[in-house]
Amino acid sequence: MKMKSFLLAAIFIFFANTAMLSASSVHESATDAQQQQAKPYEPKSIAQLSATFLERTGIYAMLFPQEGVTNGHGEEMTLFEQSTGRVIMFAIIFLLFYLAIAKGFEPLLLLPIAFGGLLANIPIANMTSDHGMLGIIYNMGIANEFFPLLIFMGVGAMTDFGPLLSNPKTALLGGAAQFGIFGSLIGAAALSQYTGIVDFSLQQAGAISIIGGADGPTSIFIASKLAPELLGAIAVAAYSYMALVPVIQPPIMRALTSKEERCIVMPKTREVKRLEKLIFPLIVVMMIALVLPDAAPLMGAFALGNFAKESGVVDRLSNEMQNSLINIVTIFLGLGVGSKLASDSFLVAETLGIMVIGLLAFAAGTAAGVIMGKIMNKFSKEPINPLIGAAGVSAVPMAARVVSKVGAEEKPGNILLMHAMGPNVAGVIGSAVAAGVLLSIFN
Amino acid sequence: METNLVLESLKFMVLGMGVVFLFLYLLVLLMQLQAFIVGKFFSNNNDSNTIDTKKSNDLDEKRRIAAIIGAVMQHKK
Repeated sequence: MKMKSFLLAAIFIFFANTAMLSASSVHESATDAQQQQAKPYEPKSIAQLSATFLERTGIYAMLFPQEGVTNGHGEEMTLFEQSTGRVIMFAIIFLLFYLAIAKGFEPLLLLPIAFGGLLANIPIANMTSDHGMLGIIYNMGIANEFFPLLIFMGVGAMTDFGPLLSNPKTALLGGAAQFGIFGSLIGAAALSQYTGIVDFSLQQAGAISIIGGADGPTSIFIASKLAPELLGAIAVAAYSYMALVPVIQPPIMRALTSKEERCIVMPKTREVKRLEKLIFPLIVVMMIALVLPDAAPLMGAFALGNFAKESGVVDRLSNEMQNSLINIVTIFLGLGVGSKLASDSFLVAETLGIMVIGLLAFAAGTAAGVIMGKIMNKFSKEPINPLIGAAGVSAVPMAARVVSKVGAEEKPGNILLMHAMGPNVAGVIGSAVAAGVLLSIFN
Repeated sequence: METNLVLESLKFMVLGMGVVFLFLYLLVLLMQLQAFIVGKFFSNNNDSNTIDTKKSNDLDEKRRIAAIIGAVMQHKK
């Protein structure tokens, strides 16, 4: 009995000792760290003070780049990225400011994105680190793909499916335009397979090709899931090309159609009952639930916004989604994406490849939509102006406006806007479905 | 064996475009079906009987005002 209690006591003392030892070692290491952080201040001469201050200036950091300097994520930056790279990025960012303000290129997003880029390239401040403003914003809502979904909710609350419901078959035009996504996927794959310029993985190629969907939030959503390292370039490409829709699309639309086709007048659309608009978002969600759950986050948020709007009983919520919420999230989304415009992640060969492929994706989507419009015009009882196919590349409502403008130029008084809005909103659904397919492949 | 990226992405395209078209085609069918059902069974409810259409049907309101103005003008003549 004595022996047993002695043994127990010994074991107890042993554990108590080890616990105390480990606790004291933890304590010691903690105080070590504290001592390292808060060095006692030593008196310095004014010359020493000036010298240390000079070393902490941005000019010094850019003129005399040093080995071993890390970016916000602890990765080492090359000498070029620390010096000339930053200068080039500042120039690119000022160009983006010019495009957003003077040329009106999607200013709502391009301006915060560019400003985020400006802040991200400030040396020493390390604003993209986990404790920096941009890093916090990025981790808060982009790394976990949350912000694009909130944007999608607002877009849903702003979208009117009336034109689509009044002429349902135009939805197929929105499907054809998604060829831009998959066509450019092949382009990206070929570029990295047969040329040595860039080396995209299939995931990266998929993330880039979604630019062809001409839908900003979808692009950011997919990029942050499949290839976060390319997010900055993809977002800039997507929004720049969306702003360039009036420049990119008309020549392609004219090249693929004859004058007679462009002059086709479409019959007036029927009026859509409110009940149809109310049921529509539910149909979409149920179809997503049954066919493609991978697209559920995107389409779920979109349908929620639309349902709130069409229900007519929660105007307060719907207004919030359309205004305050989407505006706040736009600021954060822009700054967060801008954090990826730091010289070390933007100034790479891939960026150039993304710009080229993005442009091809837009062109291919437009062309496929117009060709589908021609085919449908051949087989449909009612005449269909093939121009409205070009609106299938989402980019709501810019693409539809461009179609209407080109149509009115050919035949004054021929208003195609409402007819083009059908494929336009179907394009949003189409690109979300395409995004869901890509996610389902890589999951 | 190294994956042939182009071949893989071709397969992705077949699958992707197939699913996109299938999805949208089903959506077209459902839209037509619901238009038919709503038109057949709920056609009387469009204006104001069961659903409050005050907000969404501004157009109807405008038309009504136009009709009233028209009638007044007619009367004045």
